[in-house]
Amino acid sequence: MNREENTPGISPMEEMSPPCQVACPLHTDVRGYVAAIARGDFEAAYAIAREPNPLIYVCSHVCAHPCEEECRRGQVDEPVAIAALKRFAAERHDLSLGHGPPKPNVEPKEQKVAIIGAGPAGLTAAYDLARMGYPVTVFEALPEPGGMLRVGLPKYRLPREIIDVDIKGILEADVEIKTNVCIGRDMTLSDLKEQGYEAIFIAIGAQQSRALRIEGMDLDGVLLGVDFLRDVNQGRAVKLGRRVLVIGGGNVAVDVARSAVRQGRPGSEKEVHMICLESREEMPAHEWEIIEAQREGIILHPSLGPKRILGRDGKVVGLETIVCSSVFDSEGRFNPTFVPDSESVIEGDTIILAIGQASDLSFLRPEDGIELTRRRTIKVDPQTLATTAPGIFAGGEVTTGPGSVVGSMALGRRAAISIDTYLRGEDLTGLQFGEWRELDDLPPKTVERIKPLTREPMPMLPLEERAFNYEEVELGYTLAMAMRAAHRCLTCGGGAYVDTGKCAACLTCVRVCPYDVPIIKEGAAFIDPTECQACGVCASECPAKAITMKLYSEDQLYQEIDALFADAPAENPEPLIVGFCCLYCAYAADEWAESVRAQLPPNVRTLDVVCTSRIDIQHLLRAFELGADGVFVAGCVGDECRHTEKAANRIQGKVQFVKEVLDQVGIGSERLSLYDIPSAEWGTVPRIAQEMTERIRALGPNPL
Amino acid sequence: MIIAEQKPLDEIKSMIADYQKVLILGCGTCVTICFAGGEKEVGILASALRMATRLDGQDKEFIEATVQRQCEYEFNEEVADLVKEADVVLSLACGIGVQTMNEQFPEKLTLPGLNTKFLGQPTEQGVWDERCLACGDCVLYKTGGICPIARCSKSLLNGPCGGSQNGKCEINPEVDCAWQLIYDRLKALGKLDLMMEVKSPKDWSASHAGGPGKIVREDLRL
Repeated sequence: MNREENTPGISPMEEMSPPCQVACPLHTDVRGYVAAIARGDFEAAYAIAREPNPLIYVCSHVCAHPCEEECRRGQVDEPVAIAALKRFAAERHDLSLGHGPPKPNVEPKEQKVAIIGAGPAGLTAAYDLARMGYPVTVFEALPEPGGMLRVGLPKYRLPREIIDVDIKGILEADVEIKTNVCIGRDMTLSDLKEQGYEAIFIAIGAQQSRALRIEGMDLDGVLLGVDFLRDVNQGRAVKLGRRVLVIGGGNVAVDVARSAVRQGRPGSEKEVHMICLESREEMPAHEWEIIEAQREGIILHPSLGPKRILGRDGKVVGLETIVCSSVFDSEGRFNPTFVPDSESVIEGDTIILAIGQASDLSFLRPEDGIELTRRRTIKVDPQTLATTAPGIFAGGEVTTGPGSVVGSMALGRRAAISIDTYLRGEDLTGLQFGEWRELDDLPPKTVERIKPLTREPMPMLPLEERAFNYEEVELGYTLAMAMRAAHRCLTCGGGAYVDTGKCAACLTCVRVCPYDVPIIKEGAAFIDPTECQACGVCASECPAKAITMKLYSEDQLYQEIDALFADAPAENPEPLIVGFCCLYCAYAADEWAESVRAQLPPNVRTLDVVCTSRIDIQHLLRAFELGADGVFVAGCVGDECRHTEKAANRIQGKVQFVKEVLDQVGIGSERLSLYDIPSAEWGTVPRIAQEMTERIRALGPNPL
Repeated sequence: MIIAEQKPLDEIKSMIADYQKVLILGCGTCVTICFAGGEKEVGILASALRMATRLDGQDKEFIEATVQRQCEYEFNEEVADLVKEADVVLSLACGIGVQTMNEQFPEKLTLPGLNTKFLGQPTEQGVWDERCLACGDCVLYKTGGICPIARCSKSLLNGPCGGSQNGKCEINPEVDCAWQLIYDRLKALGKLDLMMEVKSPKDWSASHAGGPGKIVREDLRL
């Protein structure tokens, strides 16, 4: 049985998927929502991004975005700014339309499920199970749900109202969250079973800082990173000295250091240092976080091991370090090597340890029958997340150790599927999760032909405005930035597919492709999705109509043309003008989608096409057939085209052909115009529309 | 392959003037490849005819279909229902396909939407050149692989004639003189002696001049 078939956001792949989607633990259709943004369809983008992700607002701010690391645009220049685009889609979304899709019409189930921990794993499992019809209760020890999102992540990365938006969406899915209930303190696992919970999901995270076994740990001024962040995030007073030394090189250490910078009042002099075993290149924190930390004045001391904490009168005065020459041994195991006699001292009065987290598993009792691993995590079946106790599942950081939000969410989803299988009395051992087939890297010959486009930088809070407050640092994209960022997507795998039964092997696709992708293989055209750049030239020219574009097919363009006429008044005083406008030429134009389009008079209706080379002769004829008085095509003709001049030029022949047909039919070729508009001249579309309107008005209405 | 091109729209309009429901039937082989009668061309013609006949005040219906090879009964059988439904069939196949349809569906008239032009080669995207006249007695082995029958305007066996000017044919300065091409090729091959051989008059009875062609392979018949 393959349970991923019917699970939101997870589907078995019949074809090769874009690497971004494969890399996303939730397998979000990144290509889909980025393409929707590129076309200005922001609600569609939100719906696609939201589908697998009940914590979309949280993720849109803090996701570790493994998708970007795999993005094939990175082979050309830099990855598409996927995370920033998700945030844009979330920010544009009208929440009055609902947070997520309506609850599916499923039969309510009677078996109750308890979830321990309202963090990313627990909330995702709860949401999924509630949508399957189970009564779900989440038990949360803290006063508010969110887990480490709320008490671990600093507010300058994740404003708390963002968490609340997602929590509200989860509550709307009929999830019950009981806060201030600590399993182990207020209740036991046995109590939950006695209360009729037939399945339990343990998702308590890893909320305890690991300590160091070195001299001086008991001195006044030694803090634990997670405790420090929890206090800061809950608004408790935290006393820091003038020189703060943070030990650790991971993401939590950076969160601690950047939070330490923000503590205190203006005027108080403070220095924050980070000391870690790893070399600068090996530091496990995300590079962009380290760079921001440095910009905020944090001083890095890589390749240093903490030897002992120095004190005077019971208070911290510094840290003795020793140079670390390597962190891992030849087999990749953590086994640091230190350089003898390389000790030195860094002065400081506060030391915060952020060298890793573990789970507090003290609530488990022997009679629960839950085995642990040697790493002090809960032992689970990696496929089903079942613990050694029947009916009890565990996932998230309590099984993996410290990880990402989205990684924990994916385990929450998996747990929900397993729990459903278990509660329906099916055999868990038969549960199979689909394999994803990933598109290979772009071949070098394709990389060479893809035009580089600069990545849109994220606007950031100015440095001088960051000190002593927790204002969010990343400010989000404007519409124009988002459009430009989205247009960089190569829509990997969203290109041309051949119906070999129809293909006449005429070689047209082989000849017209600007990237030299199609070949004839076994008597029919073969278009390797690894190489295809989805320009659409082949599909629009195939005489056998054997080629279909996966993303924005020819049929979809027909539907959009039809939709333009759906509400056209029968008696129109002004000529009805239809414009086919290339969206990609607009990447240099600010706000084409809104401000330029808003300037168009109501008699002018535009269709955004992703490159004019996608326009088919029949698309143009269709507009006339439906009653357009005039039609124009606007796009760059020439080397401005992101798909090279070869693609851009194809529209000229098609327009000429249609003009001849229009003359033969008796409609007149002068009703069709092609405008060559380089990207920088996009503001001229309203002028073109005006010129066209006047010209067609003089000609009179379409004789049809 | 067979090269064809669409008839002028006015001629097609007049052909279908007496019919209300027209099946436009494409062919997926030669005429698809030469952009005259494949599925795409069927769609374009249907769109043009819908508009043109509406402008003429006529209320016609156009059904679109394409078969893999219209010169084969089996493929055409797939559209038998559509043929029955239509008042007339407008074929976008070569003349062979049109005749196959008329033979196969004698109760229904199939009209030619294309002019079948020649046997030719797609020499570049969008360009087709005549290469063979189906003379039934191939001489390419004597002429350096260049056909004087199809490519010489006079089909001379012993050329060139006096109309060869600077390598071009007197009928049109765009047309290569086939015998110039043959001479150049033979020279490059070191076989100019073949030019010295006087070719005796061709037996044209092997071609259409001998009546309609027919080949029967008894070994293959069922």
